[in-house]
Amino acid sequence: MTEKRKIENLGAVVRLREEHQKVVKDCESRILHWKKVSDDYEALNDRLKTLPDQLSYDIMVPFGPLAFMPGKLVHTNEVTALLGDNWFAKCSTKQAQKIVDHRMKYVKSELDDLSKTAKNFEARAGLVKELETISSNKGGYVDIREDSENTDIVVTKGKQRKAHKPNSKPKLDAVLHLKKEVEENGGESEDGGSGKDATTKEELWARLDELEKLEELQDEQDRLSYNVDMNGEDTSSFSSEEEKEGDAAPPENGLGVKPSWTSVPHSKAPPSSDRKDEDDDDEEEEGGGLPTIFFSHATEPKKVRINTGKNTMLKFSERKEQKDLSKRKHKNGHNNGHSHHELHKITTPTDLYRLFVDVKNGEPVPRKSILKSRSRENSVCSDTSESSAADFEERRTTGRSFSHEDTTPSDTSDGIAEEESPTAVPLRPASRFEAFSGTVVEKDPMPSAVPHLTIAAPALPTILERRQEEVAPDVAPPQQAPKKLSKFKAARLLQK
Amino acid sequence: MAEALQKKLKVEVEKYSQMQKDVSKGMSARQKLETQLAENNIVKEELDLLDTANTVYKLIGPVLVKQDLDEAKATVTKRLEYINGEIQRYESLLKDLEKKSDNHRELLSSLQQEYQRAQGLAVGKV
Repeated sequence: MTEKRKIENLGAVVRLREEHQKVVKDCESRILHWKKVSDDYEALNDRLKTLPDQLSYDIMVPFGPLAFMPGKLVHTNEVTALLGDNWFAKCSTKQAQKIVDHRMKYVKSELDDLSKTAKNFEARAGLVKELETISSNKGGYVDIREDSENTDIVVTKGKQRKAHKPNSKPKLDAVLHLKKEVEENGGESEDGGSGKDATTKEELWARLDELEKLEELQDEQDRLSYNVDMNGEDTSSFSSEEEKEGDAAPPENGLGVKPSWTSVPHSKAPPSSDRKDEDDDDEEEEGGGLPTIFFSHATEPKKVRINTGKNTMLKFSERKEQKDLSKRKHKNGHNNGHSHHELHKITTPTDLYRLFVDVKNGEPVPRKSILKSRSRENSVCSDTSESSAADFEERRTTGRSFSHEDTTPSDTSDGIAEEESPTAVPLRPASRFEAFSGTVVEKDPMPSAVPHLTIAAPALPTILERRQEEVAPDVAPPQQAPKKLSKFKAARLLQK
Repeated sequence: MAEALQKKLKVEVEKYSQMQKDVSKGMSARQKLETQLAENNIVKEELDLLDTANTVYKLIGPVLVKQDLDEAKATVTKRLEYINGEIQRYESLLKDLEKKSDNHRELLSSLQQEYQRAQGLAVGKV
């Protein structure tokens, strides 16, 4: 097929070349002709110049084709010039000269045109020659063919512009995404996001995820430190908001959460009651009542984080803590300790997902997002609420029951709804409890957490100490500052 | 059947060739007129350059006939106009001829196809 085509192309190309050559030859012949004419006119001009010099000339007059006769040339200044189309005009030599000049101009213009065309055709002939060599693959040229599948680009002109900046869209998304985080954290994400612009889409997304996690952790810390004063009410409000919206304003969340954390020791009872009322389903286990819950890598208790996605994390944890505290009064200690330990274990984002596992129907189900805590209790965050699955379940149920009983269904529903669904459903406490029970029976995380806890305990004395301190005393804001620092240290220690 | 088609085809081909000749004739006539037009333009210019002092002759056969400059000018102008008109006429004529020839060509091609089909059938039959 290709060969046939090649042959055909060759034949066509050859013909083209021939035609080109013909034209070029024709041009050349015409040019010659015109040159001759111009030469003749030049000679005529000279003759006309010299003719009137003498009155008469003795010349040999041609008599037919073979005979001559001596004669005289008179009236040297009178010339009959052919004007064209069988028209003659008698005029002086000078006038004749004018005519000649006129004609010379015409001839010259013709000559110029012809030479131009000749040049053009010569160039074309050259191209054709090259084409011939290409088609015959003699010159080593390669025909590059590319199936144009750019229908998308062609079809969507508008999108083309976007295509110019392949990262434009993801950038935007990243920016948006980051903004949320930024609000929460305060700018870290922005920096990260700007840096992301330079990377590819995938990298951006990955980066975003990482940053998000980091921000969450930081938010917790910040909240803890900021929201020392704000408590109960704030948290409760937050929790409800968080539960429902999931994207509660970071400041709110932070505020809400922090107070929960800090105030847990102080007002465990009131906030817990409030929390219970709210029934943060959204909030995870974070054990609102455990001020000393720390992430392994963020010295901050998970509870803070697990709350709704963005900033509500802290709140939830706080609330939960309060709830849990009340519940824990039944069982605690151990669970809290576990939860603490579990919290310890959070050194990397992956730990988060590992620890934060929703326990549905008694089985740990990896939570889609930490922010949405199904099993607050299961995840490390829910440590505050309950570390062990069983304990969680019990606590949850109890807590929930309490919440339900104590607060209006809306509150409880909020809490529950978040876990199960964003909508608050006042009726279903029992089922919710079960579903959420998040018995922190994070089967997977739990076992891992437990050993971690044990191991980490010695490794992270600081964290443990902090936890204890928080549990006992009120969580002091300054602790959060050092926590931030130690978070990483703790992580490192843990890893080591 | 095939023979009848063949005859038809021949007739049509002849007609088409005739048409082509007409077209070429028209083309050549037009070209001549164009050259005359160019020449007469030159003559006009030359005559404009001349003054009345010069005598203008016209070549009619082997005789040079004296002509008045103004007359000559007028004559040339008229000739020019005449030539222009002729050219336009010839152009329209050529257009018609071309159209006809195109139609005829299509007819020819269709006939050829039929003829080939018939031939093919005949071959098949045979």
